[in-house]
Amino acid sequence: MKKDVVFLNRGHTLWQAKELMRIKKISGVPIIDKKRCLIGIVSIEDIIVALEKNYISDLLENHMTKSVITVAPEDNMEKIIQKFNRFDFGRFPVVDKNNVLKGLITKNDILETILGQFTIIYDHDVRREEILNKEMEWFNKSLITGNTLDKKEADFEFHIQYTDVNLAGMGAARLKKFLNSKMNNPELVRKASIATYEAEVNVVIHSGSNGYLYCWFNDKEINVRIEDHGKGIENVDKAMQEGFSTASDHVRELGFGAGIGLVNMKRYSDKMVVVSEVGKGVVVEMSFYNKTGGV
Amino acid sequence: MVKIAELIKKCGLSVYSGDNFDEEVKNVYIGDLLSDVMGNAKEGSVWLTVQSHINIIAVANITSTKVIILCNGLNYEKGTKEKAELNNVVLLKSNQNSFETVKKIIELGL
Repeated sequence: MKKDVVFLNRGHTLWQAKELMRIKKISGVPIIDKKRCLIGIVSIEDIIVALEKNYISDLLENHMTKSVITVAPEDNMEKIIQKFNRFDFGRFPVVDKNNVLKGLITKNDILETILGQFTIIYDHDVRREEILNKEMEWFNKSLITGNTLDKKEADFEFHIQYTDVNLAGMGAARLKKFLNSKMNNPELVRKASIATYEAEVNVVIHSGSNGYLYCWFNDKEINVRIEDHGKGIENVDKAMQEGFSTASDHVRELGFGAGIGLVNMKRYSDKMVVVSEVGKGVVVEMSFYNKTGGV
Repeated sequence: MVKIAELIKKCGLSVYSGDNFDEEVKNVYIGDLLSDVMGNAKEGSVWLTVQSHINIIAVANITSTKVIILCNGLNYEKGTKEKAELNNVVLLKSNQNSFETVKKIIELGL
Protein backbone atom coordinates (compact mmCIF):
# COMPACT_ATOMS: atom_id res chain seq x y z
CA MET A 1 0.00 0.00 0.00
CA LYS A 2 1.03 3.61 -0.27
CA LYS A 3 1.68 5.21 3.07
CA ASP A 4 2.17 8.81 1.99
CA VAL A 5 -1.44 9.32 1.08
CA VAL A 6 -2.81 12.73 0.14
CA PHE A 7 -6.07 13.52 1.89
CA LEU A 8 -8.56 16.35 2.37
CA ASN A 9 -10.85 17.57 5.14
CA ARG A 10 -14.62 17.98 5.16
CA GLY A 11 -14.23 21.75 4.72
CA HIS A 12 -12.49 21.50 1.33
CA THR A 13 -14.48 21.87 -1.87
CA LEU A 14 -14.99 19.42 -4.71
CA TRP A 15 -13.09 21.86 -6.91
CA GLN A 16 -10.07 21.58 -4.58
CA ALA A 17 -10.36 17.80 -4.75
CA LYS A 18 -10.39 17.99 -8.55
CA GLU A 19 -7.24 20.15 -8.56
CA LEU A 20 -5.48 17.79 -6.15
CA MET A 21 -6.35 14.79 -8.33
CA ARG A 22 -5.17 16.58 -11.44
CA ILE A 23 -1.84 17.67 -9.95
CA LYS A 24 -1.12 14.38 -8.20
CA LYS A 25 -2.49 12.30 -11.08
CA ILE A 26 -4.69 10.23 -8.76
CA SER A 27 -8.26 9.06 -9.08
CA GLY A 28 -9.56 9.26 -5.51
CA VAL A 29 -8.92 11.13 -2.25
CA PRO A 30 -9.82 10.03 1.28
CA ILE A 31 -11.38 12.60 3.60
CA ILE A 32 -10.33 12.62 7.24
CA ASP A 33 -11.18 14.51 10.42
CA LYS A 34 -8.84 16.22 12.89
CA LYS A 35 -7.94 12.92 14.51
CA ARG A 36 -6.96 11.47 11.12
CA CYS A 37 -10.03 9.24 11.23
CA LEU A 38 -11.53 8.37 7.87
CA ILE A 39 -14.92 10.00 7.31
CA GLY A 40 -15.38 9.67 3.58
CA ILE A 41 -13.88 9.34 0.12
CA VAL A 42 -14.26 11.26 -3.09
CA SER A 43 -13.45 9.76 -6.48
CA ILE A 44 -13.01 11.09 -9.98
CA GLU A 45 -16.53 9.82 -10.79
CA ASP A 46 -17.92 12.14 -8.08
CA ILE A 47 -16.05 15.04 -9.66
CA ILE A 48 -17.49 14.29 -13.12
CA VAL A 49 -21.02 14.25 -11.70
CA ALA A 50 -20.34 17.51 -9.83
CA LEU A 51 -19.14 19.17 -13.04
CA GLU A 52 -22.17 17.92 -14.94
CA LYS A 53 -24.63 19.04 -12.27
CA ASN A 54 -22.75 22.23 -11.59
CA TYR A 55 -21.93 21.93 -7.91
CA ILE A 56 -18.16 21.71 -8.18
CA SER A 57 -17.65 24.52 -5.63
CA ASP A 58 -19.72 22.75 -2.94
CA LEU A 59 -18.09 21.41 0.23
CA LEU A 60 -16.84 17.82 0.20
CA GLU A 61 -18.86 16.84 3.27
CA ASN A 62 -22.08 17.27 1.29
CA HIS A 63 -21.10 14.98 -1.56
CA MET A 64 -18.45 12.53 -0.40
CA THR A 65 -19.18 8.83 -0.07
CA LYS A 66 -19.58 8.32 3.66
CA SER A 67 -19.90 4.57 3.93
CA VAL A 68 -16.40 3.77 2.77
CA ILE A 69 -15.24 0.22 2.17
CA THR A 70 -11.84 -0.11 3.81
CA VAL A 71 -9.19 -2.73 4.36
CA ALA A 72 -7.05 -3.37 7.45
CA PRO A 73 -3.24 -3.20 7.49
CA GLU A 74 -3.08 -6.89 8.38
CA ASP A 75 -5.34 -8.05 5.54
CA ASN A 76 -3.63 -10.42 3.14
CA MET A 77 -3.48 -10.14 -0.60
CA GLU A 78 -6.20 -12.73 -1.15
CA LYS A 79 -8.67 -10.85 1.03
CA ILE A 80 -7.93 -7.56 -0.71
CA ILE A 81 -8.31 -9.04 -4.19
CA GLN A 82 -11.66 -10.51 -3.11
CA LYS A 83 -12.75 -7.04 -2.06
CA PHE A 84 -11.70 -5.55 -5.38
CA ASN A 85 -13.79 -8.19 -7.12
CA ARG A 86 -16.78 -7.73 -4.87
CA PHE A 87 -16.90 -3.93 -4.89
CA ASP A 88 -16.04 -2.37 -8.15
CA PHE A 89 -13.82 0.33 -6.67
CA GLY A 90 -10.39 1.31 -7.90
CA ARG A 91 -8.97 1.89 -4.43
CA PHE A 92 -9.46 1.14 -0.76
CA PRO A 93 -8.29 3.26 2.15
CA VAL A 94 -6.31 1.26 4.71
CA VAL A 95 -7.47 2.02 8.27
CA ASP A 96 -6.63 0.54 11.65
CA LYS A 97 -9.19 -0.65 14.18
CA ASN A 98 -9.79 2.93 15.35
CA ASN A 99 -10.60 4.00 11.79
CA VAL A 100 -7.38 6.03 11.55
CA LEU A 101 -6.12 6.35 7.97
CA LYS A 102 -2.87 4.40 7.45
CA GLY A 103 -2.60 4.28 3.71
CA LEU A 104 -4.28 3.57 0.42
CA ILE A 105 -4.21 0.52 -1.79
CA THR A 106 -5.07 0.63 -5.49
CA LYS A 107 -5.57 -1.99 -8.18
CA ASN A 108 -2.25 -0.85 -9.54
CA ASP A 109 -0.49 -1.78 -6.29
CA ILE A 110 -1.95 -5.27 -6.57
CA LEU A 111 -0.91 -5.55 -10.19
CA GLU A 112 2.62 -4.40 -9.42
CA THR A 113 2.94 -6.94 -6.62
CA ILE A 114 1.72 -9.72 -8.84
CA LEU A 115 3.95 -8.72 -11.73
CA GLY A 116 6.87 -8.54 -9.34
CA GLN A 117 6.20 -12.14 -8.40
CA PHE A 118 5.90 -13.16 -12.00
CA THR A 119 9.21 -11.80 -13.23
CA ILE A 120 10.84 -14.70 -11.57
CA ILE A 121 9.02 -17.81 -10.56
CA TYR A 122 10.73 -19.09 -7.52
CA ASP A 123 9.43 -20.66 -4.41
CA HIS A 124 6.05 -20.88 -6.02
CA ASP A 125 3.87 -21.78 -3.07
CA VAL A 126 1.51 -24.24 -4.68
CA ARG A 127 4.10 -25.92 -6.81
CA ARG A 128 6.51 -26.02 -3.92
CA GLU A 129 4.03 -27.74 -1.71
CA GLU A 130 3.14 -30.26 -4.36
CA ILE A 131 6.77 -30.97 -4.98
CA LEU A 132 7.74 -31.24 -1.35
CA ASN A 133 4.98 -33.71 -0.72
CA LYS A 134 6.38 -36.05 -3.29
CA GLU A 135 10.07 -36.02 -2.72
CA MET A 136 10.90 -38.51 -5.42
CA GLU A 137 9.18 -36.45 -8.02
CA TRP A 138 10.91 -33.37 -6.78
CA PHE A 139 14.20 -34.94 -7.72
CA ASN A 140 12.97 -36.49 -10.92
CA LYS A 141 10.76 -33.84 -12.45
CA SER A 142 11.60 -30.54 -14.00
CA LEU A 143 10.66 -27.70 -11.66
CA ILE A 144 9.97 -25.46 -14.62
CA THR A 145 8.08 -27.68 -17.05
CA GLY A 146 6.87 -30.40 -14.70
CA ASN A 147 8.07 -33.05 -17.14
CA THR A 148 9.86 -36.13 -15.91
CA LEU A 149 13.58 -35.74 -16.43
CA ASP A 150 15.84 -38.30 -17.93
CA LYS A 151 19.08 -37.22 -16.40
CA LYS A 152 20.99 -39.84 -18.35
CA GLU A 153 19.92 -38.01 -21.48
CA ALA A 154 21.35 -34.69 -20.32
CA ASP A 155 23.63 -32.98 -22.84
CA PHE A 156 26.08 -32.18 -20.09
CA GLU A 157 26.65 -33.64 -16.65
CA PHE A 158 29.07 -32.74 -13.90
CA HIS A 159 29.60 -34.16 -10.46
CA ILE A 160 30.10 -31.33 -7.95
CA GLN A 161 32.49 -32.19 -5.15
CA TYR A 162 32.12 -30.17 -2.02
CA THR A 163 35.26 -31.19 -0.20
CA ASP A 164 37.58 -28.72 -1.91
CA VAL A 165 36.52 -25.10 -2.12
CA ASN A 166 39.25 -24.53 -4.69
CA LEU A 167 37.34 -26.69 -7.13
CA ALA A 168 34.20 -24.58 -6.89
CA GLY A 169 33.31 -23.29 -10.31
CA MET A 170 34.98 -26.06 -12.25
CA GLY A 171 31.65 -27.43 -13.44
CA ALA A 172 30.53 -24.04 -14.68
CA ALA A 173 33.85 -23.50 -16.45
CA ARG A 174 33.50 -26.87 -18.19
CA LEU A 175 29.92 -26.13 -19.07
CA LYS A 176 30.98 -22.84 -20.64
CA LYS A 177 33.56 -24.61 -22.77
CA PHE A 178 31.09 -27.31 -23.74
CA LEU A 179 28.32 -24.89 -24.71
CA ASN A 180 30.68 -22.66 -26.64
CA SER A 181 31.75 -25.68 -28.65
CA LYS A 182 28.11 -26.44 -29.47
CA MET A 183 26.65 -23.03 -30.19
CA ASN A 184 27.74 -19.66 -31.41
CA ASN A 185 26.12 -17.41 -28.84
CA PRO A 186 28.82 -16.32 -26.40
CA GLU A 187 26.56 -13.86 -24.59
CA LEU A 188 23.94 -16.50 -23.78
CA VAL A 189 26.61 -19.00 -22.76
CA ARG A 190 28.24 -16.38 -20.54
CA LYS A 191 24.95 -15.71 -18.75
CA ALA A 192 24.29 -19.41 -18.23
CA SER A 193 27.85 -19.99 -16.99
CA ILE A 194 27.74 -17.14 -14.46
CA ALA A 195 24.43 -18.31 -13.00
CA THR A 196 25.66 -21.92 -12.96
CA TYR A 197 28.86 -20.89 -11.21
CA GLU A 198 26.85 -19.33 -8.40
CA ALA A 199 24.66 -22.39 -8.00
CA GLU A 200 27.70 -24.65 -8.02
CA VAL A 201 29.50 -22.53 -5.41
CA ASN A 202 26.40 -22.74 -3.24
CA VAL A 203 26.55 -26.53 -3.34
CA VAL A 204 30.23 -26.46 -2.40
CA ILE A 205 30.05 -23.95 0.44
CA HIS A 206 26.58 -24.54 1.85
CA SER A 207 25.16 -27.98 1.15
CA GLY A 208 27.64 -30.17 2.94
CA SER A 209 27.07 -32.77 0.25
CA ASN A 210 28.06 -33.59 -3.26
CA GLY A 211 25.85 -32.40 -6.04
CA TYR A 212 25.07 -32.80 -9.70
CA LEU A 213 24.93 -30.32 -12.49
CA TYR A 214 22.90 -31.12 -15.61
CA CYS A 215 22.37 -29.13 -18.75
CA TRP A 216 20.03 -29.58 -21.67
CA PHE A 217 19.99 -27.24 -24.61
CA ASN A 218 18.38 -26.69 -27.97
CA ASP A 219 18.35 -23.79 -30.39
CA LYS A 220 15.80 -21.91 -28.30
CA GLU A 221 17.11 -22.25 -24.78
CA ILE A 222 19.62 -23.57 -22.30
CA ASN A 223 18.29 -25.33 -19.22
CA VAL A 224 20.50 -25.92 -16.22
CA ARG A 225 19.68 -27.96 -13.15
CA ILE A 226 21.82 -28.14 -10.04
CA GLU A 227 20.87 -30.47 -7.23
CA ASP A 228 22.23 -31.71 -3.96
CA HIS A 229 20.98 -33.90 -1.13
CA GLY A 230 22.53 -31.74 1.57
CA LYS A 231 21.41 -29.43 4.33
CA GLY A 232 18.78 -27.56 2.41
CA ILE A 233 17.71 -23.93 2.72
CA GLU A 234 15.72 -22.96 5.78
CA ASN A 235 14.00 -19.97 4.24
CA VAL A 236 14.19 -19.60 0.48
CA ASP A 237 12.63 -16.12 0.51
CA LYS A 238 15.25 -14.89 2.90
CA ALA A 239 18.04 -16.57 0.97
CA MET A 240 16.91 -14.74 -2.16
CA GLN A 241 17.50 -11.36 -0.49
CA GLU A 242 20.58 -9.51 -1.58
CA GLY A 243 23.25 -9.53 1.10
CA PHE A 244 21.72 -12.35 3.12
CA SER A 245 24.23 -15.09 3.73
CA THR A 246 24.86 -17.88 6.19
CA ALA A 247 28.45 -18.37 5.04
CA SER A 248 31.21 -18.89 7.59
CA ASP A 249 33.90 -16.27 8.18
CA HIS A 250 36.48 -18.51 6.56
CA VAL A 251 34.47 -18.77 3.38
CA ARG A 252 33.81 -15.03 3.41
CA GLU A 253 37.52 -14.30 3.67
CA LEU A 254 37.95 -16.19 0.44
CA GLY A 255 35.51 -13.79 -1.18
CA PHE A 256 32.50 -16.09 -1.22
CA GLY A 257 29.34 -15.83 0.79
CA ALA A 258 28.56 -12.19 0.11
CA GLY A 259 24.89 -12.93 -0.38
CA ILE A 260 24.98 -12.00 -4.05
CA GLY A 261 25.00 -15.48 -5.54
CA LEU A 262 21.26 -16.04 -5.78
CA VAL A 263 20.85 -12.44 -6.90
CA ASN A 264 23.22 -13.08 -9.79
CA MET A 265 21.36 -16.26 -10.68
CA LYS A 266 18.08 -14.39 -10.74
CA ARG A 267 19.60 -11.59 -12.75
CA TYR A 268 21.17 -13.73 -15.44
CA SER A 269 18.47 -16.36 -15.87
CA ASP A 270 15.17 -15.84 -17.63
CA LYS A 271 13.36 -18.26 -15.40
CA MET A 272 14.43 -19.77 -12.12
CA VAL A 273 12.88 -22.11 -9.61
CA VAL A 274 14.44 -23.00 -6.28
CA VAL A 275 13.00 -25.82 -4.20
CA SER A 276 14.44 -26.88 -0.92
CA GLU A 277 13.63 -28.54 2.32
CA VAL A 278 15.83 -28.60 5.38
CA GLY A 279 17.72 -31.86 5.54
CA LYS A 280 16.66 -32.99 2.08
CA GLY A 281 18.63 -30.79 -0.24
CA VAL A 282 18.19 -28.14 -2.86
CA VAL A 283 17.20 -28.22 -6.49
CA VAL A 284 17.74 -25.16 -8.63
CA GLU A 285 16.54 -25.00 -12.19
CA MET A 286 17.23 -22.14 -14.54
CA SER A 287 16.31 -21.38 -18.13
CA PHE A 288 18.17 -19.04 -20.44
CA TYR A 289 16.36 -18.08 -23.58
CA ASN A 290 17.99 -17.39 -26.88
CA LYS A 291 16.57 -14.03 -27.80
CA THR A 292 18.76 -13.37 -30.78
CA GLY A 293 17.38 -16.01 -33.12
CA GLY A 294 20.22 -17.99 -34.63
CA VAL A 295 22.30 -20.17 -32.39
CA MET B 1 42.10 -0.97 -25.76
CA VAL B 2 45.48 -1.52 -24.16
CA LYS B 3 47.92 -4.33 -24.79
CA ILE B 4 48.82 -6.44 -21.77
CA ALA B 5 52.50 -5.80 -22.49
CA GLU B 6 51.95 -2.07 -22.20
CA LEU B 7 50.01 -2.54 -18.99
CA ILE B 8 52.90 -4.43 -17.42
CA LYS B 9 55.49 -1.91 -18.54
CA LYS B 10 53.75 1.34 -17.71
CA CYS B 11 51.99 0.36 -14.49
CA GLY B 12 54.98 -1.14 -12.71
CA LEU B 13 53.52 -4.64 -12.57
CA SER B 14 55.38 -7.91 -12.29
CA VAL B 15 54.48 -11.05 -14.18
CA TYR B 16 53.57 -14.14 -12.17
CA SER B 17 52.38 -16.33 -15.01
CA GLY B 18 51.30 -16.25 -18.64
CA ASP B 19 52.94 -15.01 -21.81
CA ASN B 20 50.23 -13.91 -24.23
CA PHE B 21 50.99 -10.25 -23.65
CA ASP B 22 49.96 -9.21 -27.15
CA GLU B 23 46.30 -9.54 -26.24
CA GLU B 24 44.32 -6.42 -25.58
CA VAL B 25 42.08 -5.49 -22.66
CA LYS B 26 39.23 -3.04 -22.80
CA ASN B 27 37.67 -2.91 -19.32
CA VAL B 28 38.71 -2.79 -15.70
CA TYR B 29 36.96 -4.21 -12.66
CA ILE B 30 38.01 -3.95 -9.02
CA GLY B 31 36.51 -6.34 -6.49
CA ASP B 32 37.21 -8.93 -3.84
CA LEU B 33 33.78 -10.50 -3.56
CA LEU B 34 33.72 -13.20 -6.18
CA SER B 35 29.99 -13.01 -6.85
CA ASP B 36 30.25 -9.27 -7.28
CA VAL B 37 32.97 -9.69 -9.87
CA MET B 38 31.01 -12.52 -11.44
CA GLY B 39 27.95 -10.37 -11.80
CA ASN B 40 29.53 -7.13 -12.89
CA ALA B 41 32.91 -7.56 -14.60
CA LYS B 42 32.64 -7.01 -18.33
CA GLU B 43 34.20 -9.21 -20.94
CA GLY B 44 37.88 -8.72 -21.70
CA SER B 45 38.61 -7.06 -18.38
CA VAL B 46 41.61 -6.51 -16.18
CA TRP B 47 40.57 -7.54 -12.69
CA LEU B 48 42.22 -5.98 -9.65
CA THR B 49 41.80 -7.90 -6.42
CA VAL B 50 43.37 -9.08 -3.18
CA GLN B 51 41.94 -12.59 -3.49
CA SER B 52 44.77 -14.97 -4.25
CA HIS B 53 43.31 -18.47 -4.12
CA ILE B 54 42.71 -20.83 -7.02
CA ASN B 55 39.04 -20.02 -7.43
CA ILE B 56 39.82 -16.60 -8.93
CA ILE B 57 40.76 -18.47 -12.09
CA ALA B 58 37.27 -19.95 -12.36
CA VAL B 59 35.82 -16.46 -11.97
CA ALA B 60 38.18 -15.06 -14.60
CA ASN B 61 37.44 -17.92 -16.94
CA ILE B 62 33.68 -17.61 -16.74
CA THR B 63 33.61 -13.82 -17.00
CA SER B 64 36.16 -13.89 -19.85
CA THR B 65 38.60 -11.82 -17.82
CA LYS B 66 42.03 -11.90 -19.41
CA VAL B 67 44.26 -10.47 -16.71
CA ILE B 68 44.26 -10.58 -12.92
CA ILE B 69 46.32 -8.07 -10.95
CA LEU B 70 46.88 -9.13 -7.36
CA CYS B 71 47.40 -5.93 -5.39
CA ASN B 72 49.12 -4.90 -2.15
CA GLY B 73 52.17 -7.05 -2.87
CA LEU B 74 50.29 -10.24 -2.00
CA ASN B 75 51.28 -13.65 -3.33
CA TYR B 76 49.21 -16.08 -5.36
CA GLU B 77 48.45 -19.36 -3.68
CA LYS B 78 50.02 -22.62 -4.75
CA GLY B 79 48.37 -24.19 -7.77
CA THR B 80 46.96 -20.92 -9.10
CA LYS B 81 49.69 -20.63 -11.73
CA GLU B 82 48.98 -24.03 -13.31
CA LYS B 83 45.26 -23.35 -13.39
CA ALA B 84 45.81 -19.93 -14.94
CA GLU B 85 48.04 -21.30 -17.68
CA LEU B 86 45.47 -23.93 -18.48
CA ASN B 87 42.79 -21.28 -18.83
CA ASN B 88 44.88 -18.69 -20.62
CA VAL B 89 44.63 -16.09 -17.87
CA VAL B 90 47.59 -13.77 -17.27
CA LEU B 91 48.50 -13.30 -13.61
CA LEU B 92 50.22 -10.07 -12.61
CA LYS B 93 51.23 -8.53 -9.31
CA SER B 94 51.24 -4.98 -8.05
CA ASN B 95 53.03 -3.75 -4.95
CA GLN B 96 50.54 -0.94 -4.59
CA ASN B 97 46.91 -0.99 -3.62
CA SER B 98 44.15 -1.22 -6.18
CA PHE B 99 43.49 2.53 -6.20
CA GLU B 100 47.11 3.47 -6.89
CA THR B 101 47.35 0.73 -9.49
CA VAL B 102 44.18 1.68 -11.29
CA LYS B 103 45.25 5.32 -11.43
CA LYS B 104 48.13 4.25 -13.65
CA ILE B 105 45.83 2.13 -15.79
CA ILE B 106 43.57 5.10 -16.33
CA GLU B 107 46.57 7.12 -17.51
CA LEU B 108 46.94 4.56 -20.31
CA GLY B 109 43.52 5.58 -21.55
CA LEU B 110 41.30 2.75 -20.37
